[in-house]
Amino acid sequence: MKKLSLLPVAAIVGLLFLQANPKPEADTMLALHPEAPALPADVKAIVQQKCYGCHNANSKNEKGKAKLDWDALEAAKKSKAMASMGKISEALTEGTMPPAKFLENKPEGKLTEAELATLMEWSAGKKKSK
Amino acid sequence: MKVWQYLVGGIAVIGIAVQFVPNELPAVESNNPGDLIGSGIVSEEISGILKTSCYDCHSNETQYPWYSNVAPVSWLVSKDVREAREELNFSTWQDYDMMEQLEKLDDIAIEVKEGEMPLGIYTVIHSSAKLDDAQRQLIVEWAEATMDVVVEEEEGTEEEIE
Repeated sequence: MKKLSLLPVAAIVGLLFLQANPKPEADTMLALHPEAPALPADVKAIVQQKCYGCHNANSKNEKGKAKLDWDALEAAKKSKAMASMGKISEALTEGTMPPAKFLENKPEGKLTEAELATLMEWSAGKKKSK
Repeated sequence: MKVWQYLVGGIAVIGIAVQFVPNELPAVESNNPGDLIGSGIVSEEISGILKTSCYDCHSNETQYPWYSNVAPVSWLVSKDVREAREELNFSTWQDYDMMEQLEKLDDIAIEVKEGEMPLGIYTVIHSSAKLDDAQRQLIVEWAEATMDVVVEEEEGTEEEIE
């Protein structure tokens, strides 16, 4: 509950930042792929570190590869990307990712609370900073 | 009595006893105002395919054959139908929010494309529910295209509110 009440504050702070420095790279990305909801940098950093190892097109983990490929998600059209985000949100809410089996051998692969919160906010939000 | 007679007798007794294990088939409801068909996003061709190949499990309009009341088949049928409706119920389509609809359409496209659905155990008996390649293609294309429609509709209503 306390965390939820921080959200509006965070949003306002975020807006202030956005106004302070317009991001030229983000704009060109949007111009190139007007449909693609670009992955925010903080989300991308977590994904690279904690998810991408299994969820990529060349993954040896067949199931992980079949279920989600982050590169494909970034390139996907809007509706497809949103559907994937919804499923990611579900997996995070249920706590099924990263899998418990995987964490047995690699406990450092667990998402920290802050990381989990960042991913949840991103995957649940329809479109906040536009 | 011979051994085989005991065996047959035993199986018969078990077969009868098993009928008394309580088991309830998920209820049938034919009046579904929130059904996918009637929501305006399905052509007649697509709704025809969905009705024959999906609706027995993924809707409230299940048509139970007589043997689905006979244990142990009834156990399998009630489990499959119950789980299928939980996962995706076309009868309550309009109650899903936009994200749920998107996820379900995406799953439909994936499962049908990969031949996971309809389940093999179902089409073995209900051969009319089998999808040929052309029908598969139609369903996949419909699901993928409808995802865009769902997003556009949502954006449309948001603009109206604003």
